[in-house]
Amino acid sequence: MSEIMISLKDIRKTYKSMGDEVEALKSVTLDIKKGESVSVMGHSGSGKSTLLSIIGALNPPTSGIIEIDGIDIYKLSQEKRADFRREYLGFVFQQFQLIPYLTAHENVMLPLTTTKRSNKEKREMAEEVLCRVGLGNKIKRLPNQLSGGEQERVAIARAIVNEPPLILADEPTGSLDTKTGDEIMELFQKLNEEGLTVLMVTHNPDNTSYMGRTILMKDGQLSLDEEDFVSVYSNKKV
Amino acid sequence: MNILQIAFSNLKRRKMKMLFLMMGLVVGVATVVAFLNIIQAMNIELGDRIDEFGANVVILPKAEGVEMHYSDTVVSDLTFDVQKLTMEDIPKIYSSSVQEYINIVSPKLVGAVHVGKQKVLMVGVETKKEFTQKPWFVLKQQAGLTTGEKVGELALLDVPEDGLVLGSSAAEALKVGVGDELIVNNETFHVFGILNELGSEEDGLVYANLNVVQNLLNRPQELSMIEVSAYCNSCPIEEIAMGLEEALQNTQVIPMRQVALYREETIGQFSAFGLVLSGMVLLVAALVVLTTMISSVNERTREIGIFRAIGFRRTHIMQIIFLEAGMVSILGGVVGYFMGSFAAIYAGPYLAQIQGNIPFQKELFLPAVGISTGLAILVSAYPALKAARLDPAEAIRFI
Repeated sequence: MSEIMISLKDIRKTYKSMGDEVEALKSVTLDIKKGESVSVMGHSGSGKSTLLSIIGALNPPTSGIIEIDGIDIYKLSQEKRADFRREYLGFVFQQFQLIPYLTAHENVMLPLTTTKRSNKEKREMAEEVLCRVGLGNKIKRLPNQLSGGEQERVAIARAIVNEPPLILADEPTGSLDTKTGDEIMELFQKLNEEGLTVLMVTHNPDNTSYMGRTILMKDGQLSLDEEDFVSVYSNKKV
Repeated sequence: MNILQIAFSNLKRRKMKMLFLMMGLVVGVATVVAFLNIIQAMNIELGDRIDEFGANVVILPKAEGVEMHYSDTVVSDLTFDVQKLTMEDIPKIYSSSVQEYINIVSPKLVGAVHVGKQKVLMVGVETKKEFTQKPWFVLKQQAGLTTGEKVGELALLDVPEDGLVLGSSAAEALKVGVGDELIVNNETFHVFGILNELGSEEDGLVYANLNVVQNLLNRPQELSMIEVSAYCNSCPIEEIAMGLEEALQNTQVIPMRQVALYREETIGQFSAFGLVLSGMVLLVAALVVLTTMISSVNERTREIGIFRAIGFRRTHIMQIIFLEAGMVSILGGVVGYFMGSFAAIYAGPYLAQIQGNIPFQKELFLPAVGISTGLAILVSAYPALKAARLDPAEAIRFI
């Protein structure tokens, strides 16, 4: 069994924009081990969200090979890839992205909807996960009846309810105050300690202290340049 | 939590939009149901009225005819070998192969009689049958009524043995009124009633009981013609004519094709109008469903992206869209069925000039719900495909 959770080999991604080709990713090669927690930092337009969507089996690269837990995900059919996302990945989107007309409990149950588990089992699993993130007493509330931090916790519960080995988070603390942001980061840290691999895109340098490794992206490439790190940490454009 | 619950929850959230969509379907289905109800009721009532009132088959004695040419002169309508039609032929009608379609059999004998110095045409009829078959024969005056008393319905009255019913022109020509005495071929009769003006040749006729006229003309048992009204809702009039011709060998049976044609045409025209209008309303309903569902999908790009990202297959997304359309359309079909039925029952009689009641047609329930659901599912196919084909990465960009 492979020890590598994410393996990127020479990943390139180009978009066509107004007739011109824009290179969003330029030859990205990266390995992330199982159980690792990695934060990806970079300025806007550096390619970190594109990288996350490619790793999330949502956006095929123009070239290169990407394997998650040894599976070449873009060799899978569209429908198999949907199954893969359900079984292997837990997404935590920017701005929580809860379904507004479903309760916290129902939102968390969503990834289980298309599984063959019984309704009782789905309900119990969702309830248990909500308890784990500290929302056991608010499961019947709609998203607009919850605070930002609570909505983020629901989003995290939804990402982990299916017990995926990999969590992909895009700016999970972007719209939270510092105290709540720290609580959420502690939750990610805890999940990582429980064995989940966590890959997080963030602008906030403070978040990196909760993660095992930080990767810097600049102009669609990974950067090891110290100056770039300083720039990103001090939130200045290089 | 399952796909159905997701669809249901979304419907609850978008109540106004879904109500709008449903109303489109309700109007479409209600129009179709109302028209079908009215058309069906018209078909039955018009058919029954035409069948019941007025003959649709005439039986005449068989005769050979010839047309002769003498230089420039043409002698037409020369008949020979004329068979006789008698009272004995009537039971044969009731025992014919088409007996089940026979409604009213009205035999009659027509002959010229003398009233004083005037010659008039007298028709012997079985009065109740004749006047039931021809409800447009209405009495203007009736003998023996007290002041303020209204004339009776001719089909229900017993015309006495010595009674005569005069057409309006005949009464004028003979200068008689109700209750007056008339000597016809040296026998005494009394004017029982005078008919309203019909504007046809029938205004000049004198009606009396068949057996009386047979004796008066010294032609016992003999008949000039038999008018038959048949129920032809379930069979063509030609078939009835053929069945009667088989039973009555000495006669010629003439189907009154124009009656059937009139009936078919009238119902056909209304049916065609109803179907075209229903089709147009359904088309509008389909467009309402299409635009509402497309706008719903467009509004939910982000949501669909999330569903796809967390592992929903394309088929799951399509299921959600179809289930939403299905649930709304089933409800729309049910509401449309009842609205259409009630509209037909309450407004139908005024719209289509139907005198009878329009029955509640239970058998239209399933087709109504079927049309609504089928239409919504069919029209939702495009928005559903559009939703399923949404690139999750593109959809996520909206996030």
